[in-house]
Amino acid sequence: MVRRGRGLAAALLGLCLAVAPGALLAKEKLTVDLVNEPSSLDPHVQWNPDSYYVYRNIFDNLITRDDKGDIVPQIATSWKYLSDTEIEFTLRDDVTFHDGQKLTAEDVAFSVQRITDPKFASPQLGQFNKIVKAEVTGPTTVKLTTDGPYPALLGQLVKLSIVPKHVVDAVGKDAFNLKPVGSGPYKFEGWQRGVQVTLAANDKYWGAKGPFASVAFRAVPDAATRVANLQAGTSDLAVTLDSDLAAQLKNSPKAKVLSVLTERVAYLAMNIQKPPVNDPKVREAVAYAIDKDGLVEGILGGYDKAVPEMLSPAHVGWVEGIEARSYDLAKAKALITEAGSKAKQPISLLTSPVYDQRVVQAIQQMLSEAGLTVNIEMTDMANWLKQMQSGPGSIPQMAFSRWSCACQDADGVLFPLLHSSSGWANAQDPEVERLLIEARQTLDEKKRLSLYRAVHERVAKELFLVPLYQVGIIYGAAKGLQWQPTPNESMFLNRMTWKD
Amino acid sequence: MRRFLLRRVGQVIGTIFGVVTLIFFLQRLTGDPTYLLVPETATQADIEAMRAALGFDRPLIVQYLAFLKQIASFDLGRSVIQNVPVWDIIASRLPYTLQLAGGALLVACGLGIPVGIILALYRDHPASRLLASVVLAAQSMPTFWSGIILILIFAVTLGWLPPSSTGGIEHLIMPSIALGLLSMATFARITRTSLLDELSKEYVRTARSRGVPMGLLLRRHLARNASIPVITVAALEISNLLAGAVIVETVFAWPGLGQVTVQSILARDFLVVQGIVLLGAFVTVALNLAADLLYSAVDPRIRLDGSRR
Repeated sequence: MVRRGRGLAAALLGLCLAVAPGALLAKEKLTVDLVNEPSSLDPHVQWNPDSYYVYRNIFDNLITRDDKGDIVPQIATSWKYLSDTEIEFTLRDDVTFHDGQKLTAEDVAFSVQRITDPKFASPQLGQFNKIVKAEVTGPTTVKLTTDGPYPALLGQLVKLSIVPKHVVDAVGKDAFNLKPVGSGPYKFEGWQRGVQVTLAANDKYWGAKGPFASVAFRAVPDAATRVANLQAGTSDLAVTLDSDLAAQLKNSPKAKVLSVLTERVAYLAMNIQKPPVNDPKVREAVAYAIDKDGLVEGILGGYDKAVPEMLSPAHVGWVEGIEARSYDLAKAKALITEAGSKAKQPISLLTSPVYDQRVVQAIQQMLSEAGLTVNIEMTDMANWLKQMQSGPGSIPQMAFSRWSCACQDADGVLFPLLHSSSGWANAQDPEVERLLIEARQTLDEKKRLSLYRAVHERVAKELFLVPLYQVGIIYGAAKGLQWQPTPNESMFLNRMTWKD
Repeated sequence: MRRFLLRRVGQVIGTIFGVVTLIFFLQRLTGDPTYLLVPETATQADIEAMRAALGFDRPLIVQYLAFLKQIASFDLGRSVIQNVPVWDIIASRLPYTLQLAGGALLVACGLGIPVGIILALYRDHPASRLLASVVLAAQSMPTFWSGIILILIFAVTLGWLPPSSTGGIEHLIMPSIALGLLSMATFARITRTSLLDELSKEYVRTARSRGVPMGLLLRRHLARNASIPVITVAALEISNLLAGAVIVETVFAWPGLGQVTVQSILARDFLVVQGIVLLGAFVTVALNLAADLLYSAVDPRIRLDGSRR
């Protein structure tokens, strides 16, 4: 009895010693499970979510978005339009890169010139190619010139990272990719290929410092394994879970679910040049046949939200009160009957494994119930993208897709989808194209909104495509992690805190 | 011996050349990766510029000849996604795959061969039949499923082992078991068949009738004679394990070549896929050659032209 009592006391003491430091000290190391490792850490060379999650913490941008989604200063303290095509940024004077060198206006101009140089062949060129000139106008000022008025410029610039000219010039593109130097709240520490990228807190950061001394971003391709890591307590944050996996985390003593509605919008693309969807009655039937709320609540677990227009409320260009056709199977059936036998022609619904097949199959089922013959055609992502951008002659009759311009501006969504200069578009509607061009060329936000309202109304009437829902993104996190995910799917470590 | 070696080396080069040519054209027939590299909002002009920058706009035959020239100088090119040399990717991932294949082979042989011996020696015993069923069930489990079950039991519920990634030996245990289970039954079956074959031979019956203990017989004669088919299978199974590692590496976030192959195929990172396939083809034919050479070392009656003396 005595021996057992002593053993118990020793065990309790041991437990206290083991637990106490963890409870008293702040979290030293954060482990984040991504789907893949970043493909590159040079911010101008790649654009994919896994790279983006990591490098946005190493580099500062000219401007950024706060948690509410508003565009706020970062390296630039203020900006003013000198004319419709010229904008001047005033920069902070107290920023240093991780190698100790000061960040100057030269670095900002160099970064813009680098990414907009066609010879550099940045995958992001299309987002910045309206900028034709970047020049240093003073010790802390930089002027950007665009090839015309460009209201989405600031929305795009939140993604432009500032790289140090002296380092890139000295080591070259390939070496910079292997050992990036930025000015952000975290410094690059090491990259164990295939395993993890580690960052260390930048103690000299000019802004809000990161709360964790060290952060490891690991590549864990299987979502079930990402959840297991959270449940076992070997990771603190996991990206890209689906609603089924989120349900598993709800009862976990160690982990919780974090989610946010993103700026990504799911929609049903229709090639209105091809039968039978060239018939407005068939398109109207399609719109009536799809139960958006059913998709969101029944299949997606309520993390997404039905929308009546091809934007999310997180976009500039979102307008209230657009009336879209709501689910009405009887009306859909009646329209198909009215359209006659040509409506019975088989329709190919193109999809790719990256999309939620439960949703695609549900759409097929809903359209079949209305009387249409829909065949799902599955292809890999590269071929899917190629077919979708192949122009009106060969774009498939129907496709399920999700769209994000990562700029939270209507121009990045509606222009490529509806203007005939884009490979994605097949509507060829002169009225919509006029509105899109006008909205693209005006800096007056009120006027832009009224133009986009007209576009939404025309899309809702003519159904060049059917907007479905604003996509929700689901993260799993350790109980102690305090973080508000944002619609632009950023992961700023210095906006997180830890509470045991 | 020399003629045999020369002939086999010729076959090796021919096979690798065939595999590489096939993979080069098959990949390109399915399209190019440009669309995956640019954002959705990229214009057709951006896409064309990117395609030209990557060299995918050149005629296929020009690309093929350039590729052969590259290979001849042992240059596997650069990954278009990761922007690093393919050799670097292979060099950083290969050790992990070898560790995993080694661990899995240990599990497969360590369990499979003793089980095969038991199944042969006690072939009529009911417990032996039960064991055979268990082995078959283990082999029938898909690796993605057995992997997840192992993670749920040993990592999430019991907390004994880390669920994924790399580090110490503890990270290797579950992936090795998940992958090794696939080959275990093959080893058990081939050991059993081979041993039964030997047991039915005259010399065994004579020795047994003279009272030679089974243990001694097994060590002295049966093990060596029955091991030839097992060596053949081991050579084939190593290539199977390397291929099977694709799923296991994905489930356990094990950073081997399998994982990077899947990612590269999905991203159409042609040069990385080509480099890994080239390596895989080389390893497979080299293992087969090694197995052939081992036969004659184990059983001197076998000549390298395939006939028995």
